[in-house]
Amino acid sequence: MGKIFRYECRRLLLNKFFLGIMAALLFYGWQVLSGVTILGVSHTAPFSPWSFGDYLSRMLPLLWIGILFFLTFFTSPGARRTAVLTAATPVTSRAYALARCAAALTGGALLVLLCMGEAAVFYGRMFGWYNWGSLVLPSLVTLLPPLVFALGSGWQMGQRRHCLLYVWMAVPFLLIALPLPEALGLWNGSFFTVYPLTLGTLDPEFALSIPVTIAQLFLLVLGAFLLAQNSKSAEQPIEMHKLPVDK
Amino acid sequence: MEINIQEVGMTYPSGKQALKGLNLELKSPSLIGLLGPNGAGKSTLMKLLVAALLPTEGNILVDGAPLARAERKLKASLGYLPQDFGLFDELTVTQFLDYMAALKGLGDSKAAIQKAIGAVNLEEKAKAKIRTLSGGQRQRVGIAQALLGDPPFLIFDEPTVGLDPEERIHFRNLFSRTAQERLVLLSTHIIEDVQSVCDQIVVIHQGRIRFAGTPERLIQSAEGHVGVFYEREAVQEEGLHITARVNTSQGVRCRAVADDLPPFAQAEEPTLEDAYLYLISGEAAQ
Repeated sequence: MGKIFRYECRRLLLNKFFLGIMAALLFYGWQVLSGVTILGVSHTAPFSPWSFGDYLSRMLPLLWIGILFFLTFFTSPGARRTAVLTAATPVTSRAYALARCAAALTGGALLVLLCMGEAAVFYGRMFGWYNWGSLVLPSLVTLLPPLVFALGSGWQMGQRRHCLLYVWMAVPFLLIALPLPEALGLWNGSFFTVYPLTLGTLDPEFALSIPVTIAQLFLLVLGAFLLAQNSKSAEQPIEMHKLPVDK
Repeated sequence: MEINIQEVGMTYPSGKQALKGLNLELKSPSLIGLLGPNGAGKSTLMKLLVAALLPTEGNILVDGAPLARAERKLKASLGYLPQDFGLFDELTVTQFLDYMAALKGLGDSKAAIQKAIGAVNLEEKAKAKIRTLSGGQRQRVGIAQALLGDPPFLIFDEPTVGLDPEERIHFRNLFSRTAQERLVLLSTHIIEDVQSVCDQIVVIHQGRIRFAGTPERLIQSAEGHVGVFYEREAVQEEGLHITARVNTSQGVRCRAVADDLPPFAQAEEPTLEDAYLYLISGEAAQ
């Protein structure tokens, strides 16, 4: 499956879309870093976990779009027509789905690394700051659950109806505009800007509130469950409803 | 390789019954032509044979084992070209075939790819992106992926669609050569393709097998039922099915099939096309 993984990575990463999303991420990231993060959030340093988390939550909608765009390569009408050929090969559908899922995750990871790399350059150049260990937890908490959820839910939706993926891309933008409960504060950044002020200390240590922890865990588990469901359904060879209508 | 189709029926969830009580034995080496009008059930039969569908009635046995149990074994021995398929446009021809070779689990993919590309005359386009290929060239990529690794069982659904006449002849010869040691099932509307290469013919109409045997036997069944006449001589006749009209200097010359030829028609030697149309028109009349 290594070869399939490499070819899928090639399909996902060597194209205009990937270059476009990279350019958009770098441009928007720099705007956020130099316009918002540089000031620090909630009276904390620009390189505090809170400021960095705020930066990542602002980048989340673009990363979400990136992940869902990767999935369009697997669920488009053209890809379904190619599936008629791939389904007639002896490879197990589960192994094939896992190789493709790994390629999409790799693409998502590269986009995340790009965001973090840009922040690293920014922090290094502006503040000579390189203590990245303190930023690992906010990075994981902010990005891992929503991106795994994007992959799992997006794959399920795309398999049902390809155009739903494009509708699903708008979700984080909607969430930014809506007043969200505390548990979903990571989606509109309010967790990083409001919650530290409630902790009663100046420049507090990074900590998660219980509602946010539960919400992120739920998203992560749900995303992983949907991904597992996807590979399970791929294991069933007889998918009559998905095949072209008999001519 | 031996495939036994036993009392197979297929009803889609919509209620459409595509196949009814099909019995057929496919044994290698053989090149079997599958003929039938649109909607006859040919593609459904192909999908059943590649395990893309499960029959709602009956059994399919692969070398004596039920298809549900022998699915991986079947797919490991299968080269399949469906009627409607897609390719990864962003890959080159060689890369796409390498991708398919990986899915087929081929060890020496490089040699297999070169052989398949050579067989379909695509050497010049081997490094071209698939999105730059013409319809005929894409069809040839489809045939090449089916031929990868010399599988012992090949299924081609309308393989010569989109190919020019010269290419069609090339592929007819290729299928014929391939079938010398393999089982090849060729579904097509083009009678010429079947006539020139197939040693067995199966005619499907309205979900049932109407004929299974050699082309010679099918032709024999139409002897005495094919005639020609000029349109001006013709009288409206029940049961007369005109299969061709040609403008000549003496008027429009018609070729027709009928159970009983009318007196104004002059009997002719039947071709495979006549015999096929005679069979189908008789079934349609019933």
